[in-house]
Amino acid sequence: MRVVIAEDLALLRDGLTRLLRDNGFEVVDAVDNADALVHAARAEKPDIAIVDVRLPPSFRDEGIRAALELRATVPETAILVVSQYVEQEYATELLASGEGGVGYLLKDRIMHVDDFVDAVRRVAAGGTALDPEVVAQLFSRRGPLEGLSPREREVLGLMAEGRSNAAIGSMLYLSVGAVEKHIASIFTKLGLRQTAEDHRRVLAVLTFLQSEG
Amino acid sequence: MLGGMKTSLRSFAYLASALVTGALGFGLLLAGWLATGLLAVTPLSVPVLVGFRWGVGALATLEARLARLAGVDPGPQKLTSGGAGYWGRGKAVLADRSFWRQHGVVLARTFVGSPIAVGAISLVGSALWFVFLPIYYPWVDFHIGSFEVDTLGKALLGIPFGVAGTIVALALVHWTARGWARIALPYLGPPRGPAKSFFVPHAALVAVTDVVVLIVWASVGGPFWPKWVLAATTLTISLHAWLLRAPSALARVAGVAVFLEAFQIALWVFGGGGYFWPIWTAIGFAAAVAVAVVVLRRGRLEHRIEVLATTRAGAVDVQETELRRIERDLHDGAQARLVALGMNLGLAEQKLAGDPEAARDLVAEARAGVEQALRELRDLARGVHPPVLTDRGLGAAVASLAHASAVPVVVEEDVPERPPAVVETAAYFVVAEAMANAAKHAKATQITVRIARDADRLVVEVTDDGRGGADLAGSGLVGLRRRVEALDGTLAVTSPSGGGTVLRAELPCES
Repeated sequence: MRVVIAEDLALLRDGLTRLLRDNGFEVVDAVDNADALVHAARAEKPDIAIVDVRLPPSFRDEGIRAALELRATVPETAILVVSQYVEQEYATELLASGEGGVGYLLKDRIMHVDDFVDAVRRVAAGGTALDPEVVAQLFSRRGPLEGLSPREREVLGLMAEGRSNAAIGSMLYLSVGAVEKHIASIFTKLGLRQTAEDHRRVLAVLTFLQSEG
Repeated sequence: MLGGMKTSLRSFAYLASALVTGALGFGLLLAGWLATGLLAVTPLSVPVLVGFRWGVGALATLEARLARLAGVDPGPQKLTSGGAGYWGRGKAVLADRSFWRQHGVVLARTFVGSPIAVGAISLVGSALWFVFLPIYYPWVDFHIGSFEVDTLGKALLGIPFGVAGTIVALALVHWTARGWARIALPYLGPPRGPAKSFFVPHAALVAVTDVVVLIVWASVGGPFWPKWVLAATTLTISLHAWLLRAPSALARVAGVAVFLEAFQIALWVFGGGGYFWPIWTAIGFAAAVAVAVVVLRRGRLEHRIEVLATTRAGAVDVQETELRRIERDLHDGAQARLVALGMNLGLAEQKLAGDPEAARDLVAEARAGVEQALRELRDLARGVHPPVLTDRGLGAAVASLAHASAVPVVVEEDVPERPPAVVETAAYFVVAEAMANAAKHAKATQITVRIARDADRLVVEVTDDGRGGADLAGSGLVGLRRRVEALDGTLAVTSPSGGGTVLRAELPCES
């Protein structure tokens, strides 16, 4: 699997490169600014780009902007944004296209190497990976989610993080059938139509959340 | 119930105090203006005026302190006005807006507050009179119609009436104090920002007047007398327009002079010319503008120095407290965790060969420690300066706060151009603190945040419908006030008990 990394701190850039290579990824380019990222992604068309939010020159949200640009111009490249902090606003923007292949994680999560590598693969394959902190921020709001039972909220949160039904079942000690029932109930309560793919359901839920914001 | 009793008694004390401060104020204003008027053109008028200004300021300070009883903190009051040179000091007093605003409150307390005080005292007093009737009924001759209170039994009947009356009276007092706090006390605070514009109604009135006058003239005929009305109405509306658009106080003064002079010249033209008398008024206006230039320049500089001196100390304090908090958080949080982490890793290194299972546990523990340290550092960074504020500015940062709030928040934002970073940060913390207070202490169910920017300042207003009675001397609000004042801004808190809270900050931001 071919990866491009955009991270301005050399320490983290090299560490991430090593971590991914050790886990069987091919890091085709590792750059330190947003322009170089866009350039590299266009040239290499990697499976996934891993992008820091704050990049030179102004260290604001260059990474998010570059990610959005890549979404529009190189749709075959999935995007995983990693950052020292998460902001729900950015998650909303990244997911606004309504397509999969998008992730947004705290850099803390990289420490759990297996989970992180899983998330990279999942996003590259067109799935999603939303940081639990973003999910928690979404749940702290009032609105349509208030009608859900505590169990359904748990299931919805794990769905938003990008977990499969089987994974959700094993995490919550439920059978896959029970998980599916909860999901069906969530969709009914939120007034959404069920579709086949895992990430589409998550995106549908998130899109719905934004529209009520 | 007891809390309600306490706030009612505080409200009562506030209303009743008008009898004292109202009388003092009336005496002060009367004496001050008589003395100033009598000595008007003599050099003695300056010390009298300066002393008078100090007196009004001191009385306003007293009023501001008393206002805390009603749950309002209008902030520190100005006592002096600066001004350079002997005559400059006198002029600075007259040019000082806060002097006139303080007049407004002192006069209101005299002429409206005193009658209210009399009413409040007699209301509560007569209710209490019934309560204690059993003590003194033998010595008073009291009857309602033919019902003579001459036995203890009859006197005891008065107690329930008295208690009910006292409760009603205190409730009335409470509501009156609240109303007063809303209407009169804002005048002790900083001037209200983006004032409601009466320009459109004014223009409509002018148009209607002109049309009516023209119709009347058309039906009556004769010489074209409506020209006088047209000139006068045109003058008022152009003056109004100029006052709204003028870039500075000096421009306002100069504009008014020019318009009035133009009106005189128009009068001269309509009057058929002849001797050009408007030359004399023109000279007068020019002199007035020259005086205004001197007074405004000097007054502004002196005032600026005074404000800078007082706010600098506050700013240093805020910074010191903040740095100490950050140091403590780092010391007890992330630093301590890194030490523990180092120890765990060292231990793991030792055990790697002999007891790999234990080493694995230690490494897992170390990783958990790193995660905790990262979380703490992230919270610390957010507290110092929220990342989204840096990235996207005030609107996005406030929207983010609103998203995370447990209380519904309506945000009305009109900031076409990003203010300087320091102003954004201060505004952000005003909103954050106000929202936290509203949710935590005031138990509000609705919060409204208004952020508006005009040419030279940013106005932030956070209103909630909670139970009010904010702790005005609490560390949160005091720190916030210092933060705002360090930027030359003003912070006003209106939080009458039971009446919601309005936090309003004005931050200058010249672009």
